[in-house]
Amino acid sequence: MIKFILRRLLLTIPTFVALMFVTFIAIRLVPGDPIEVRTGEHGISPERLAYFRHELGLDQPVWKQFIDYVWHLLHGDFGVSLSSNEKVLTEFLTLFPATLELSIAGILFAVVLGVPAGVFAAVKRGSWFDHTLMGAAVAGFSMPIFWWGLLLIMLVSEGWHLTPVSGRIDMINFYFEPTTGFMLIDSLLSDQKGAFLSALHHLVLPMIVLGTVPLAVIARMTRSSMLEVLSEDYVRTARAKGLSEFRVISLHALRNALIPVVTVVGLQVGGLLAGAVLTETIFSWPGVGKWLIDSIGRRDYPALQGGILLISSLVIIVNLLVDLLYGAINPRIRHG
Amino acid sequence: MFNSSLKLAASVGIAAMLLGASAVSAKTLVYCSEGSPESFTPALNGTGTSFDADRPVFDKLTAFERGGTNVVPGLATSWDVTDGGKTLTFHLRKGVKFHSGVNGFKPTREFNADDVLFSFNRQWKPDHPYFKVSGGKYDYFNDMDMPALLDTIEKTDDYTVVMKLKEPNMPILANLAMDFASIHSAEYADYLMKTGKPEQFDQIPVGTGPFIFVTYQKDAMIRFKKNADYFGEKALVDDLVFAITPDPTARLAKLKAGECHFAIAPRPADLEEIKKDKSLSLISQSGLNVSYWAFNTEKPPFDKKEVRQAFNMAIDHEAIIKEVFLGSGTAAKNLIPPTLWSYNDKVSAYPYDPEKAKALLAAAGVTTPIDIDLWYLPVQRPYNPNGKRMAEMMQADLAKIGVNAKLVTYEWGEYRKRMQKGEHLTGQLGWTGDNGDPDNFFFLRGCAASKGGQNVTKWCNKEFDDRLNKAKSVSDIAERTKLYEEMQVIEHDEAPDMKIAHSIVFEALRAEVTGYKQSPFGSHEFQGVDVK
Repeated sequence: MIKFILRRLLLTIPTFVALMFVTFIAIRLVPGDPIEVRTGEHGISPERLAYFRHELGLDQPVWKQFIDYVWHLLHGDFGVSLSSNEKVLTEFLTLFPATLELSIAGILFAVVLGVPAGVFAAVKRGSWFDHTLMGAAVAGFSMPIFWWGLLLIMLVSEGWHLTPVSGRIDMINFYFEPTTGFMLIDSLLSDQKGAFLSALHHLVLPMIVLGTVPLAVIARMTRSSMLEVLSEDYVRTARAKGLSEFRVISLHALRNALIPVVTVVGLQVGGLLAGAVLTETIFSWPGVGKWLIDSIGRRDYPALQGGILLISSLVIIVNLLVDLLYGAINPRIRHG
Repeated sequence: MFNSSLKLAASVGIAAMLLGASAVSAKTLVYCSEGSPESFTPALNGTGTSFDADRPVFDKLTAFERGGTNVVPGLATSWDVTDGGKTLTFHLRKGVKFHSGVNGFKPTREFNADDVLFSFNRQWKPDHPYFKVSGGKYDYFNDMDMPALLDTIEKTDDYTVVMKLKEPNMPILANLAMDFASIHSAEYADYLMKTGKPEQFDQIPVGTGPFIFVTYQKDAMIRFKKNADYFGEKALVDDLVFAITPDPTARLAKLKAGECHFAIAPRPADLEEIKKDKSLSLISQSGLNVSYWAFNTEKPPFDKKEVRQAFNMAIDHEAIIKEVFLGSGTAAKNLIPPTLWSYNDKVSAYPYDPEKAKALLAAAGVTTPIDIDLWYLPVQRPYNPNGKRMAEMMQADLAKIGVNAKLVTYEWGEYRKRMQKGEHLTGQLGWTGDNGDPDNFFFLRGCAASKGGQNVTKWCNKEFDDRLNKAKSVSDIAERTKLYEEMQVIEHDEAPDMKIAHSIVFEALRAEVTGYKQSPFGSHEFQGVDVK
C-alpha cells in the first residue's frame, strides 16, 4: 500500500515539472506585460518601465526567470502577487475555502441525487422515469453553466424570491470575521442567530449550478454501470438465494457498479474547478476560480503560476485518493 | 486558520467597535461594486474600482465639490497663490482627527503638516522609508507630472504648508483633489514601521474621511463604519458595505431583490428594464472622457486643414453612437465633455455630408481614390466599447468618398507607443479626464505633447498653444474659461482630429436611496447618502 502511494507520488513529479513549465511559458506568450497592462492612456515612461521590469526581474532571460521561480518554489515561496502585493500562498489560502465549500456542496449534491437516480433508472429500465431521467441528464450535461446560473437567478431568486441572488451571506444583517474561511462553519461559530441558515440559503443556487454537470454524468454512469452489473451471474445467484430485492440491488449490485462511478467522480473534480470559475463569477463567490481569471487579465504571473500549480496539486491528490478508494469499495483491487 | 493575519489584525483593532455586536446595524447602505481594490492606498492604485474603495477613508488638501468638478477646500481651508503662480501656501484645517482603533492604532495627535509632507514625500522621494513599500508604483503621481511640477514642499508651522512649483501651474489645485493625493497619517506609518509591518499601511487604511475602515474580504466585501467625528459632510448611514459583485446581471438582480441599494455600471441592454421598475431609479450623465479619431497632421494629405475637415464630414456619427455605443454614448463636438467647466456649446458639430467632403477633398487637390491606414483600438476603453466595429463602420463611410481605409492594430501598449511616435496616418484613441481641469484635456493638442507625447495628431498651433500655456498660469476662473472657449473654436476649425463621442455613465439605485449625487469623474461617494 505505502509502496503504491510512494510510486504514485513519484509519478506526479514529472507532471508538476511539466505544469510549471507550461504555465510559466503560456502566460508569457500572452501579449502585454504586467506593468504595461495596467497603464491607461497616460502610458508609462521608458525609464519607469525599465525600473519596474528590473524590480520584478522581468528584464532577465526567460530561462533564468524560470530557474529562479523553481528555486523559490522549492523553498516553499510562491512569490508575491503583482496586483495586491500579498503572498500568493496567503491569497490562495484565503480564497480557497470558499471554492472548496462550494465544490464539496456541488459534488455532494451530484452524488446524493445522481447515484440513487441512476440506480432507480437502471432498475426500472425502459420506464418513463428512465427515459425522463436520461433525457434530463443529456440536457444537464450540455448545459452552459453561465446561462444556467443566470436563468436560475432570474427564476428562483428574482421571480419566486426563494433564494438570495448572490454572495455567501446576508451582508446587511450579519457580520463576523472569518475564522476558517468556510462560511457554513464560520456562521455557526459566530453565534449570530440565523447566520447559518442565511449561509446555507446562499449556498443553494451555486451548489445546484455547479453540481448540475456532475449530476448528469454520475446519474448516467450509475445507470449504465448498474445495468451491466444487474445482468451478471452473481446477481442472478443472489436473487436465486432468495435475497430481498433491496439487498440484491444495494449490496451485491451497487457496490460493484460503483467502481466506475467513483472514477467518474474523481475525474469530475477537475471539471468542477473549471465550473467553479464561472459559478464563482455569476454568484460573486470569492474563490480561487475568479481570482485566477482576474490574474490572467492583470498578467499577474506569480498569482497565476502559483494558483494553477496549487490547484493542479489538488486534482492530482484527489485522483490518488480515488485510486485508493477503489480498494475500499472492491477488495479485489486492493493495492498490495 | 486560513485567514490572513491582516484581517485578524484589523478585527482585533476594531474589536471595541464591534464587540458583542451581532452587527444588526440601524442603517446599512450596500453598494454592489464590480471588483476588489488593488490596495487601500490610492497613490498605489490605478482603477476607478480601487479609488472608490479607498475614498470613504480619506481626505485631500483640496476636494471636488460632491457631484461636480469645482475645486473646494478639503483638509486645507484656504490657499494663497503668490510669486506669479509659482508658490502655493496651504492653510490647514485644525482639529481634524484620524480614525482611532483601526489595526490597533490610536492616534496621539490631530492632523497636521507632517501628514501632508509624509503623503507627498512617500511618492516623490526614493529615499523615503515608505517609498518602496508595496512595490512603489505611484502611477498617478507620475502621470500627473508631479515630479516635474514640484520644486519643494515644506511646512512653515504645524498648520501651514508651502508648495513651490518649477513653473506656474493652476491645474495642480485640481491634482491635489485627486485620489492619489489623499492624506495619510504619518503617525500610523511610524507605528507600523516600529511594529515591523509597514505593508499593512496599504492594506488596513487609516485616514480622516467620512467612513472608518472595518474589514476587507477579498472578492467578497469591504465594510466601513460611519466616522462620527468627521469635519465635513457626514455619513448618514451607520455602515457602508461594498458587496463585490462582478457580473452585471447578478448586480441588477441583487438590486431588484434589495440585496444592495446601489449598483455600478448596468448593462446597456438592461436600461429599459430598470427605467420601468418603480422600485429602482436610473441616473446618467456624460463620462469625463472623449474618443477621437486622430489625423497625423505631419503626414500628407492630413497636413491640409481642408482634408481634415472633409474627413470630419465623411463619417456618420449618429450611426456609430447607435451601433457601437448602443445608446450609452453621446456624439462629441469638443475635446472636453459638456460636464466640464468652459465647455463651448457655441461650437457646431461638423455635419455628415459625404458630397461636401468629396468637394473639399477635390478643392484641396486630393485625387480619389486614395489609400489610408486607419488604426483601431485593440482594447475596450471607457470611451470606446468596440474599436474594431467602429473602424469597420468608418471604413464603409470612407469608401463612399473614394477613400480606401486599411484597418491596422497592435497590442495595446505597442499601439499607444507607436501612435505617440507618429507611425500612424490616422488612428482611434481617446482620453479619460483625471482632475476635472480643462487643461487635463487640452494639453492633448498642445505643442509640448506633440513631440513623441500624448498629442498623437502632432498638430502644433501657436494660437492654440499660447492660450493653453497662459491658461495654466492664470488663477482667475473666468479668464481661464474664456481662453479655453477660444481654444475650442480654433481646434474645431483646424480639425486635427474627428471627435467621436463621450460615453454616458449609467448608475442604478433603489428608490429608497436619497442624497446621492452622480460624479462627473465616474467616482462613487456615499457621505450625505441615506436609505429611507
